[in-house]
Amino acid sequence: MLVSLKSVKKYVDLGNLSAEEVANGLTFAGIEVEEVSRLASGTNLVIGHILECEKHPDSDHLHILRVNLGPKFGIEQIVCGAPNARVGLKVIVARVGAKLPGGEIKKGVIRGVESNGMCCSLLELGVDAKNLRKEQTEGIEELPNDAEVGNEDVLGYLGLDDEVLNLKVLANRPDLLSLYNVAREIGAIFSKEVKIPTFEVKETFKTNLKVGSESWRCSQFSGREIKGIKIKESPKFMKESLLAMGVRSINNIVDIGNYVMLLTGQPLHMYDADKLDKAELIARDDLSCDFVALDEQTYKVEKDDIVITSNKKAMCLGGVMGSLACAVDEKSTHIYIEAASFDGASIRHTSNRLGLSSESSQRFVKGTNHYQSESVINFASYLIKEYAEGEEFSDIVKYQKEEKPVSSLKCHYSYINNRLGTNFSKEEIKNVLNRLYFNVSKESGDEFEVSIPSFRLDVTCEADISEEVIRVLGFENVKSELPLLDAKVGGLSLGQSRLRKIREYLSFNGLDECLTYSLVSKENSEKFNLLHEEEHYKLLNPLTDEREYFRTHILYSLLESALYNVNRQNKDLKLFETSNMMSTSSRSEHLAIALVGFDYTRDLMNKIPFDFYHMKGLVEGLFAILGIEASRYRFERYSSNKEEFHPGKSARRTLRRWQIENSESAYCTFAPHP
Amino acid sequence: MEEKKEKIKISEVYSEAMNDIKSVFGLDKLQELKVKYLAKKSIIMTLLSGLGALPPEERKEAGQELNQTRNNIAKLIEQKESELRKEELEKKLKKEEIDITLPSRNVDVGGVNPFYVVKDEITDIFLNMGFEVADGPEVETDLFNFELLNIPKDHPARDMQDTFYISENVLLRTHTSPVQAHTMQAAEGKPIRIICPGKTYRRDDDDATHSHQFAQIEGLVIDKNINIGHLKATLELFVKKMFGEKREIRLRPSYFPFTEPSVEVDITCANCNGKGCSMCKGTGYIEILGGGMVHPNVLKMNGYDPDVYSGFAFGIGIERVAILRYGIDDIRKFYQNDVRFLHQYKKKA
Repeated sequence: MLVSLKSVKKYVDLGNLSAEEVANGLTFAGIEVEEVSRLASGTNLVIGHILECEKHPDSDHLHILRVNLGPKFGIEQIVCGAPNARVGLKVIVARVGAKLPGGEIKKGVIRGVESNGMCCSLLELGVDAKNLRKEQTEGIEELPNDAEVGNEDVLGYLGLDDEVLNLKVLANRPDLLSLYNVAREIGAIFSKEVKIPTFEVKETFKTNLKVGSESWRCSQFSGREIKGIKIKESPKFMKESLLAMGVRSINNIVDIGNYVMLLTGQPLHMYDADKLDKAELIARDDLSCDFVALDEQTYKVEKDDIVITSNKKAMCLGGVMGSLACAVDEKSTHIYIEAASFDGASIRHTSNRLGLSSESSQRFVKGTNHYQSESVINFASYLIKEYAEGEEFSDIVKYQKEEKPVSSLKCHYSYINNRLGTNFSKEEIKNVLNRLYFNVSKESGDEFEVSIPSFRLDVTCEADISEEVIRVLGFENVKSELPLLDAKVGGLSLGQSRLRKIREYLSFNGLDECLTYSLVSKENSEKFNLLHEEEHYKLLNPLTDEREYFRTHILYSLLESALYNVNRQNKDLKLFETSNMMSTSSRSEHLAIALVGFDYTRDLMNKIPFDFYHMKGLVEGLFAILGIEASRYRFERYSSNKEEFHPGKSARRTLRRWQIENSESAYCTFAPHP
Repeated sequence: MEEKKEKIKISEVYSEAMNDIKSVFGLDKLQELKVKYLAKKSIIMTLLSGLGALPPEERKEAGQELNQTRNNIAKLIEQKESELRKEELEKKLKKEEIDITLPSRNVDVGGVNPFYVVKDEITDIFLNMGFEVADGPEVETDLFNFELLNIPKDHPARDMQDTFYISENVLLRTHTSPVQAHTMQAAEGKPIRIICPGKTYRRDDDDATHSHQFAQIEGLVIDKNINIGHLKATLELFVKKMFGEKREIRLRPSYFPFTEPSVEVDITCANCNGKGCSMCKGTGYIEILGGGMVHPNVLKMNGYDPDVYSGFAFGIGIERVAILRYGIDDIRKFYQNDVRFLHQYKKKA
């Protein structure tokens, strides 16, 4: 969530707090700020007026300008390469010494002509190209004619004097996808008063619009009819706010919808009322049809997708995208506004299936406040009245399924302190909760009741209240104390310590311990699978064929590691890996050993090629360590018609009786087929 | 005359023998002298056997003299022999001296994937604090991986994109936390103190910082009166053992569905000691693990009364710790097993 700090400051007085201090406060209250950025930056800026513009004698694209910088700075000569530089243009000038995102502006001589500054594009002030029109990126910024020459507060004049906090909103706090709620949170953290305005418009008529829901997936649906609107450009403040929060300005109605959503967290949808067959908007989830969306693409609507219908025809893919058929366009004058609540999981299924994700679908998926639709519609109506010349406003019609949210909780001061390991006083706890809009009432001794604000969907139990307290007061208040637990011998179980011994034995015998992936290809899973003829698990949604099966043995993976090394000129290898294995019918601990090339550690001068007897020796050593005497096992020739092993050089050990916890089963395979 | 001749002969024999012995080289030559002077057919023995021909009074004296001489020669030979043997041995030793700088024939200790170095070390730290090692399956049910951890179906924290499914309700575990539920159910309401190292899987494309397979160490303590301070102290102890006495920790509020409150744990950056540098992006701290107080719903669902018992849980990324500690720049290196990489890390006894 991108949050414009300038917008936040409209609702809470932050005093001298810097953007970094606000970000830090949020981060340590559990709302991580990933980045603080400035919309634009630059010092020594001033608005100038181009008085003269001549071609540079020694260049085909440079101009020599004489620019009036107002009474304070006078007239300067500037060499400029922009194609749109011309006499009479009001421009942004970075004077000598200006610090811009790209570096400092110095007095210079460009192809023999002195230049004292630079005329800037918004790109050069650090504005993201995606927020600019094409012509804005190709030349210097053209300011309106009424721009005041000599004005040094250029960023303020442009509305670019804003800092943007990029919040990482975690799954439990969808309420923070609302600037109002972020302002409330900042106010609580810094103990500052927060003023969220409320708006009303006067109802001038009763609407015929019927709203409703025939599906559990839509629990609330509110609507209002508005007549006499006029589509035009949005006001400057709104365009600036939207830009800061990463949304492009389209026109006043679309922008009002987005602006209200960014501030309140409630997505809105607007229908052109004249394009609907019938004055009704009903949510359903039983339609299967083709749907032509605003983006002019056709999507297949299936059963369980939420659609808003009028006369049983899909007019909107609820919470995801509206239909082209009833979209508001430049000619629209008569609209319905929708503020509804949809089931997040359903929206997620639809949005994932169709590959359609938007600011509004993301808000529904994470969860919206079901109890603010009237105030949100009123807010939008007010803006429509002010900035879209809305003339007539109906009453608000509403469908709301009965829901019983947890609206208050019984809490105990002692529980909170005991859970946190703190000694907060009742006053401290009460104060924090009140700042967060959790109002404490009915206090009696240790017990009290706390009301939960409607936008906090995440708070449902006493433990949640303890978190609210500690995240604002800070974990530095937690006494660090080791738990006084009953003395107990920890330690490894028999199976675990045997596994350790096996690994140490092999390691001390010079084998390198490897780690390989459990997911393998079909071929890999089936090859060398001679210990267990068991069935492997297959993934429903693998990333690639190479990682589609959950392996039942390590050997092939280990040989792949060997091959990886051989291809890198590491030719003499002693590798092993132990790993837990699961097949559809068993779970056990496995060991695989691969000896490749020559035994390089025994005698560097006289390298011996690895053979069956090296492996046999390791296995015998392993058995000795595990206390398995030679009389209890024997090596048998292993003849298999599998092509992986050399028929004459393979053996299989059979144990008369060998049981280890975790059904440890060491298996060694010798001499891969040449 | 006869007698005189005899006497001269004896002293001559003796001085000759002395010279011979003195100047002899080599044990085999000495052996020849032994034969010459002491064997049956030697001069002295011949003279001895001829004693019978002498008159009795002379016989005794001559016999004594001869025997004396013979003993003296024998002694000389013996002396010489031990001298020569010593010499020979020295010569042999000299000859057999070796170049001790040549490569050994001993077995070198194998290289260890740093993954295991870290995993074993973390495990040992907690074993020493009285923890036991629990274990759970990598192929899990939806119930254990999600539902029993307070992540019901369609919870926003559960994203289909991140999970490898085997069937609708069977999946590869996305964290080691299901072991919490398994352990609680098996412990049937008794106190718990476990860690669980294990492999986990998420549906991520592999690159330098993402891996579809990675490993965690889960920790869980359940008892009466457990609070966040206990979690803080336990992790402080762990961090100091693992990263050094100078490291401090900092708790930051966070969110996991199965803990409440939840925390992220940062440690002071080892590179700059908390002053801020490029490694810690100027913050002085590096995020190292997550944890929190076990959510009452999780206790309840797994057979504990949250009004009586409380607990803390934490999860540590094994590769993450190894990456921080050894400055490894690519998580894929753990799974490639290049032996030149493995040989940089050796097992310590």
